[in-house]
Amino acid sequence: MHPLIHLALSLPSWQDEQPFLVTGLALGGVYALSGVGMIVLFRTTGVLNLSFGAVGAFGALIAWQLINHSGMNQWLAYLVCVLFGGVITLAYGMVFGPALARRDPLVKTTATLGLTLILLGAMDLLWTSNGGASRSISLPTDNHGFMVGQIQVTTTDVIALAVGIVITVVTTAFLRYSKLGTAMRAMANDREITATLGVPVRRVEAAAWFGCGIVAGLSGILLADLVALDATTLTFLVISSLAAALIARLSSIWITFVAAIIIGVVDAAVTPITALTNYRDMTPFVLAAIALLFLNRKRTLSLARQEF
Amino acid sequence: MIEVSGLTVRFGGVTSLDGMSVTFESGTCGLIGPNGAGKTTFFNVLSGFVRPASGGVKAFGEDLLAMANFRRARWGVRRTFQTEQAIENLTVYENVAMIHEHSKLSSSTRQDDVLGAIAIVGLDDVANTKVATLGAGQRRLAEVARAIVGKPKLVLLDEPAAGLPETETAHLGEVIRGIPEHTGAMTILVDHDMSLVSSCCQNTAVLDFGRMIASGPTSEVLRNEQVVQAYLGVAEAKG
Amino acid sequence: MATAQLPGEAKPKTPPSAPPRIERGFYTRAAIIAVGVLLVIFLLPQVLSLYYVDAMTQVAIYAVVALGLGVLVGRVGLISLGQAAVLAIGAWVAARLLFGTSLPYEVVLLASGVITMLLGTLVGLPALRMRGLYLALITLMLAGAITVVLASLNFPNGGHGFSGYNGALLHIPPIRRPGIAQTDPAYFRYSVVVAVIMFLIVLIHVRTKPGRAWAAIRQSEPAALAAGINTTFYKLWAFALASFVTGVAGGVLAGAVRYLYSIDFQTQDSITLLAVVLMGGAYSIWGAIVAGLLLQLLPAILNDLGVNPDWLVILFGIGVLQVLTTAPTGIVDQMPKDIARLARFIGGLGRRSSPAKEPAQ
Repeated sequence: MHPLIHLALSLPSWQDEQPFLVTGLALGGVYALSGVGMIVLFRTTGVLNLSFGAVGAFGALIAWQLINHSGMNQWLAYLVCVLFGGVITLAYGMVFGPALARRDPLVKTTATLGLTLILLGAMDLLWTSNGGASRSISLPTDNHGFMVGQIQVTTTDVIALAVGIVITVVTTAFLRYSKLGTAMRAMANDREITATLGVPVRRVEAAAWFGCGIVAGLSGILLADLVALDATTLTFLVISSLAAALIARLSSIWITFVAAIIIGVVDAAVTPITALTNYRDMTPFVLAAIALLFLNRKRTLSLARQEF
Repeated sequence: MIEVSGLTVRFGGVTSLDGMSVTFESGTCGLIGPNGAGKTTFFNVLSGFVRPASGGVKAFGEDLLAMANFRRARWGVRRTFQTEQAIENLTVYENVAMIHEHSKLSSSTRQDDVLGAIAIVGLDDVANTKVATLGAGQRRLAEVARAIVGKPKLVLLDEPAAGLPETETAHLGEVIRGIPEHTGAMTILVDHDMSLVSSCCQNTAVLDFGRMIASGPTSEVLRNEQVVQAYLGVAEAKG
Repeated sequence: MATAQLPGEAKPKTPPSAPPRIERGFYTRAAIIAVGVLLVIFLLPQVLSLYYVDAMTQVAIYAVVALGLGVLVGRVGLISLGQAAVLAIGAWVAARLLFGTSLPYEVVLLASGVITMLLGTLVGLPALRMRGLYLALITLMLAGAITVVLASLNFPNGGHGFSGYNGALLHIPPIRRPGIAQTDPAYFRYSVVVAVIMFLIVLIHVRTKPGRAWAAIRQSEPAALAAGINTTFYKLWAFALASFVTGVAGGVLAGAVRYLYSIDFQTQDSITLLAVVLMGGAYSIWGAIVAGLLLQLLPAILNDLGVNPDWLVILFGIGVLQVLTTAPTGIVDQMPKDIARLARFIGGLGRRSSPAKEPAQ
């Protein structure tokens, strides 16, 4: 039998696909959340924060620790996680932002890999992954939900997608209409000139770093719930959000949202297809690679170092 | 002969070159204009770093814009940059030799050609010293040596005298005036030093806001009302 | 060699001379390095325990990988976040050939180098059209994709078919080793010899036309183009060279560990690799050796002492930040100061003992 026909015959029915689509939309929502956070930071500071996932993972593990070993109220623990994300990202930005401000975006981005390694090492030290039961975070909203036809939709799924939508809408409005948002857009163009216009550049940057960190913490919790509470998995899930951001050429918020949803849905939709399921984790890579190659087909030479 | 017709370049909302049309006949030609007039953009079009929105350039009868950028150097377009581009870690000899080895010239004449170019600019004593250790004036001369080695057809000099003291500018002038005799190449010189331009260039073209506003024999152009107006606001023109 | 003819007026000063083909002190330095290599090959396995001999084999392997990445980062200015995946491909190809054929080990090494090189070039071709940051991200994406494929495909374990993997095998045969290098100490020597060859190949590149072209590209791509350098071609060449040596290193790795698992080639490994390359100094050949030592010897020592090697990951993270914030321009402009001092000291030993006369042509 021709392999393609065989593939077609083993395609799952719409019925079988549906539950995966729900997960896909939820994940897509979180990828959008992360993607938007990364883009706003990139546009303001020129840094593509690759430590995003690691920050979220670290925060989620802190929350887990607080809930399971210190008996803290879980909502408080989640709050700590989100705040941790904000604080550590802000600290990094305030220390290493100015030091690298004039450098190529490539250098600034590579530096965030330094933070990623520090966090990965620390997570492995503090919460070893060898042996023992695996950890998990389960939001109380996992237990609520409703049925859409035959499919189970948890409140967490709804929150995840909603968060993605909300952040997209709010950020677009924020960048366009608020004073801080306009300042961020100005800085994306030229930090030096914006400074001479009297914009408090360092404060705007601080806001961008902190905001990005908060989003990282929030994504960490949601992904820990939806996927797994594992340092490596969560750290490198950032690649899916990165893929969405790249497809949006690191500038458009709305394209990031759409791309993130597509990535989440395609990834999930491939899961029940037996022939491809082992390769489903390649989805963000493949989609981003195709998008990058297509979008960059007209090669332009950069003369100015600031230009990206 | 370089024929530029209707060259227009746009970056986002800015029009750097606006229908620039001029013919550079032969020998050494000057290209002057106030800052931001589009001179470096013009050089970038010739080098192939910038694609014009419209217009064309014919160099010695060939369509320059149809060539891939790195091939233009092989064809014979050489240029210097406002910030020197000689490789710091290599010696003067190695820097000049690099241009030679990526050109169509044969390696059997390489040593002679390279030493010849170094001698023309007068860097004989420091031929085997690393560029990183040289002073500003010497670095400029190394840049020029890179531009004239072998058999270039067109040499583009982008503000070679910027920031140099009188004596070094005078030496630079001598070198530039020697280019036609030593290499047979046509030269376009962009600079703000008017005495350098008048002493080296028979003809000069003037660019302002991306458009040609005058061209002709250098002495006439420098006295042209419009040209003086365009430069109004610039502190005394040297020379 | 003919003396140079001076065109134009004769000037009353010393005529410029072509630079000597072989610089002063070269032979002395080369001799010192050769002696050092011989000491390492013959003496080291005698004085070290098997545990450390194995660690040093890994150092040799990863020094070559670091060398490849160093060419990209230090010489051309391109960042690849996927060299661990390239290493995995090399190891995979070698394992498949070693199980499936009875080709001599050297041929297998060459084959894994060449096949990895071809794949690397194929990937590089479209990717090189992009600017630095996008290129780095694409390598991250592709490496991630390869990691996923590997997890599914698994490494060959003696099975049949294209993948050479048989999940049902109860007794998995070890990957074979070359006839002359069956024992661990012997294999260590073998790896060092292969590593030295790889270093020589890279050294030749760096000192001749491609090396100069890379220096021009790293300094300024527009200027390189204006000099007539086909930048895409030379960048591709760098990619090909880096992929080739990494592929060969993968082949050596297969014989060293004898059992390959996809868990050993994670995305994180590509990042720590970049970190140690930056810390060792991406621009220098010696930096690659330092990188290998950091990556493979230090964890072995720490494990031996009972210290958790995760501290090293943290150290590497700090190292990245330190290197990037203190390098004046570009990613690597100068080696970390202590490494530089050490290299100068060794180089100075060579120069001080050379006779002060013109070397023979």
